Amino acid sequence: MKGRKALLWARRLTQLSFLGLFFYLFRLTDYTGKDQIAAAVNIFFRWNPLVALSVTLAAKALLALFLPALLLAVLTLLLGRFFCGWVCPLGTLLDAAHKVVPPRGQGVGKGWVKVKYFLLLLISASSLFGLQLVGFFDPFALLLRGFTFAVDPVFNSSVTGIFDTLYKKGPSWVTSLSEPVYEFLKKGVLPYQQSIFSLSLVAFFLLLGIFLLERVQRRFWCKNLCPLGALLALLSRFSPLRRRPGKLCPSCGQCGKLCRFEAFQEDGRFVPERCNLCMECVAKCPQGMISYRLGVPSLQDRVDLSRRAFLGVGLTGVALPLVSRVGWGEKLPRPTLLRPPGALDERLFLQKCVRCGECMKVCIQNGLQPTLLEAGAEGMFTPRLVPRIGYCEYNCNLCGQVCPTGAIPKVPLSEKQRFQIGKSHFDKNRCLPYAKEVPCMVCEEHCPIYDKAIRFHEVTVSDGRGGTFPLRQPYVVEELCIGCGICENKCPLPGEAAIHVLSQRDLREAGNGKYD
Amino acid sequence: MDRRDFLRQLSLYTAGALAAPPVLEVLSNPTFAASTPPTVNVVKGKNYEELTRRLLLSLGGMKKFVHSGDKVVIKPNIGWDRTPEQGANTHPLVVKTLVKMALEAGASKVQVFDRSCNEERRCYFNSGIKEAVESLGDKRATIPYVEERKFVPIVIKQGKALRDWIFYKEALEADCYINVPVAKHHSLAKLTLGLKNSMGMLGGNRGRIHQNMGQNLADIATVIRPKLTVVDATRILFRNGPVGGNLRDVKVLDTLIASTDPVAVDSYATTLFNLRPEEIDSIRRAYEFGLGEMDLKKIRVLEA
Repeated sequence: MKGRKALLWARRLTQLSFLGLFFYLFRLTDYTGKDQIAAAVNIFFRWNPLVALSVTLAAKALLALFLPALLLAVLTLLLGRFFCGWVCPLGTLLDAAHKVVPPRGQGVGKGWVKVKYFLLLLISASSLFGLQLVGFFDPFALLLRGFTFAVDPVFNSSVTGIFDTLYKKGPSWVTSLSEPVYEFLKKGVLPYQQSIFSLSLVAFFLLLGIFLLERVQRRFWCKNLCPLGALLALLSRFSPLRRRPGKLCPSCGQCGKLCRFEAFQEDGRFVPERCNLCMECVAKCPQGMISYRLGVPSLQDRVDLSRRAFLGVGLTGVALPLVSRVGWGEKLPRPTLLRPPGALDERLFLQKCVRCGECMKVCIQNGLQPTLLEAGAEGMFTPRLVPRIGYCEYNCNLCGQVCPTGAIPKVPLSEKQRFQIGKSHFDKNRCLPYAKEVPCMVCEEHCPIYDKAIRFHEVTVSDGRGGTFPLRQPYVVEELCIGCGICENKCPLPGEAAIHVLSQRDLREAGNGKYD
Repeated sequence: MDRRDFLRQLSLYTAGALAAPPVLEVLSNPTFAASTPPTVNVVKGKNYEELTRRLLLSLGGMKKFVHSGDKVVIKPNIGWDRTPEQGANTHPLVVKTLVKMALEAGASKVQVFDRSCNEERRCYFNSGIKEAVESLGDKRATIPYVEERKFVPIVIKQGKALRDWIFYKEALEADCYINVPVAKHHSLAKLTLGLKNSMGMLGGNRGRIHQNMGQNLADIATVIRPKLTVVDATRILFRNGPVGGNLRDVKVLDTLIASTDPVAVDSYATTLFNLRPEEIDSIRRAYEFGLGEMDLKKIRVLEA
């Protein structure tokens, strides 16, 4: 018994370790004083076979970035669906939430368990025909976006809000106690800066929804919806690690109640692909008679999808990419849709981007923001640069370093510094030296290009009293401007800036060369 | 205590804390020791640590500015994500030596900070200043990032163009504030020197300061009054300032200039760029305010 109980603790410890790793890497997804990100912070996406599969299908290319995913696939082939029970941080959080949101009802119809396979099929078919849907359903993408866009910023603003209030309003003896605590929290517990994101609420509700589904059934998401779970389940069918006995004991049947993954059918038979090897039944069997041993996998139980449903979902998966291509975004210019540096071809970008949120998490100016519908419905949650919120820092290429799929390529800094995100354009109706004949040069001052992509014409203007004075009016040197957006960001006009970065995608796609 | 009780007490405390008047107290500004006639000390040399020490020695030693137990703020230019040789920020060795000397003079706390234009962490790291300060390994010397909550609104009583602005509390409260700008070309102000460097202690939308900049800077100089200004001209950016980047735009001069007179030190520094003090608006306006001397003939130059 003791050894069996130890299995449970080993699992919990492993779960906690990977959850810890997830949060540790989450914090590490930031600038830390070096130009290179220290660790593989995107590893949760790179060992993810679902992401690997969908990106490979969509981009029609094998990427070395996904070698860890191959490893997980092989491990699942050998050991079964251990990932869901031992590793997945979302699963661990759901387990942790179990006591807070316990299931209240009688569960759901047995058809629900198939939904995840349909989702997997839909994602795969769409990917093959060029539409990337994985980001809407991948558990890590949902988790990371929820934390990046909502949970972490709210955590920071709440904690900082308390300490700021104490600092500003509290008596000095309170401040002398609170400030050291705040200093400590700032070293690694809190994020460095207060971020804001355009889709915080959406990301939050999606994540919240997964947790609320726990009220319906324990691990509802994992059992019924998670397409990564579906893929791992399919692989686990071939695992030689078999549970003995292969069905519920008629006299006891406790395993059936214990099992959080409902791995037993109504007739008591054990379904291997549903098992996440949580070891609860092994540890808690009163007879101590349950074990996992090597054996020949029996493939007699098929994943039971009706042919009609299979074809229907498959064809939908084919149809969606076709429909998305007749969206008006294909023709309508989208001048303010600025993609991160290095992302060249919009379609390839949409196919490779899995909407994981890593780039938006790491962007040190908070300038990369999730897209709502600006890139079409399928472009939701993809990153775009919004210079008025945050510009692209000239010496930084962290987004390319953390992108798990190469949608934002990892290019050397010197190359990134030449990459044209867009081009700046003055709005002379608002720009002070033009509109009001007032000297101003904040945009030029901040321009990071060594030889300045913003320069001045000197003009002579009337002072209205019969005299004249010299005035310098800025203009953009098109050949030099890379569209980093610092000019738009720092423009001192209230509200809208008098200089805008506009995408040059239309020109680029017309064949103006790679780094034109 | 049950939960209800606890919550009640907590909310009462919170209400009390919110209603209490802020305990901000901005100390009266330390007036700079005006020496008659105004003196500017100039040193030249390749070893910047030795150079900084020689400069302070010629000024009468750091103890003249920093007294035992003082809270010191040293304000370099850490505005840009550029390396030391690119000349956009104050040289780290100069800053380091000043911090070290302030500690030696018995300062209880030495803070180095600037409100950067580029991402502040990148600026602190790549300017080399963060490492320089931390390499001293002295707990009294810190280089914290500027925090939004530490900006306080200040009425600029003598202001002509600016009536009020938000200033960095820590800078105003320091016993000794040492301004350490780097001498650079600037496309609007022509040059950025000591008076312009004070902008790093301003919060809010600083872009607005650029309209009528000369007068604004003079107004600010009535609030932020350094006990000492050290202009770093070890290398100067003479073109494409204030950001620069290209080493062709940088000239190595191996020079430091210092004065207790914030106008005189800027005035002398203009000569490094073959300009005259009256060409720089902020110098002229600050002089008109009586904040210091700009007439090079009246300024005593002490070369050590």
